[in-house]
Amino acid sequence: MANIILRHLIETPVRYQEEFEARGLEDCRLDHTLYALPGPTTVDLGSARVAPARPVDSAAELPPSQGKSRFQILLDVVQFLPEDIIIQTFEGWLLIKAQHGARMDEHGFISRSFTRQYKLPDGIQTKDLSAMLCHDGILVVETKDPLGTE
Amino acid sequence: MSGRSVPHAHPATAEYEFANPSRLGEQRFGEGLLPEEILTPTLYHGYYVRPRVTRAGDSSRAGASELRLSEGKFQAFLDVSHFTPDEVTVRTVDNLLEVSARHPQRLDRHGFVSREFCRTYVLPADVDPWRVRAALSHDGILNLEAPRGGRHLDTEINEVYISLLPAPPDPEEEAEAASTDP
Repeated sequence: MANIILRHLIETPVRYQEEFEARGLEDCRLDHTLYALPGPTTVDLGSARVAPARPVDSAAELPPSQGKSRFQILLDVVQFLPEDIIIQTFEGWLLIKAQHGARMDEHGFISRSFTRQYKLPDGIQTKDLSAMLCHDGILVVETKDPLGTE
Repeated sequence: MSGRSVPHAHPATAEYEFANPSRLGEQRFGEGLLPEEILTPTLYHGYYVRPRVTRAGDSSRAGASELRLSEGKFQAFLDVSHFTPDEVTVRTVDNLLEVSARHPQRLDRHGFVSREFCRTYVLPADVDPWRVRAALSHDGILNLEAPRGGRHLDTEINEVYISLLPAPPDPEEEAEAASTDP
């Protein structure tokens, strides 16, 4: 188990590699101190990440890697609760709707809603997609093909 | 405590200052992110955070709602940079100052998006709602302003007279009076 990369939204190099040897990856999932700061033995992030150069109009789509079309979007939904968010696919489009009703905050009352649409690449079905809401309010919708499966 | 966003605290205490910050961040919403915009995760005061890149040219009020209550003036700044000036409406309902905005579906650098929000500020008691002025700066910061002291806050005291009701006649006394009368 050398050079572990946790797919915690973005590829995150693991600082204490030997810690995982003894404890196993799943046990350490919530132990954030283990994969917080990049240590001296980190993997090069640039090689693990997909090339950043891509056309502006398809910024949400990542170019196909390893011959399979890969799709990933990141969305900042920090103001919304998980139950406020609806994700749908419709005729090749991915719809993300989020809405929260009037809520009190420190400056008064606030209600928000938004709808986002993304064109899905050809051949991607609802069952191919997975969604994850991270603790810091970033919603990730991506194809179920993590890099670790190969 | 957990379900309450505004705890009740005395305005002169530090608890009140922390619970009622004059500046609230994260007022932009529905924004897409690129993986490049998330920096290396790090620990901040024991918490695992992912810092993000900030755009050059963003002012200090970008993405924030800022409230300034000075002695002579009520002032609020709100980032409405997602909306064009004709998509933003400001109105007052009694002592509430409502900022609402919606934009139909449009294309931004992440895809199609439509947004809507409504924020309500509560005007202090001495602000006249008719004297609220709004200005939108070139970078999308809405500046709401109203002079304070437009209404006099002298407490009107009206002493309410307490009328005394007659006591109901006691049945025992009445019976005694009836027996001793003849």
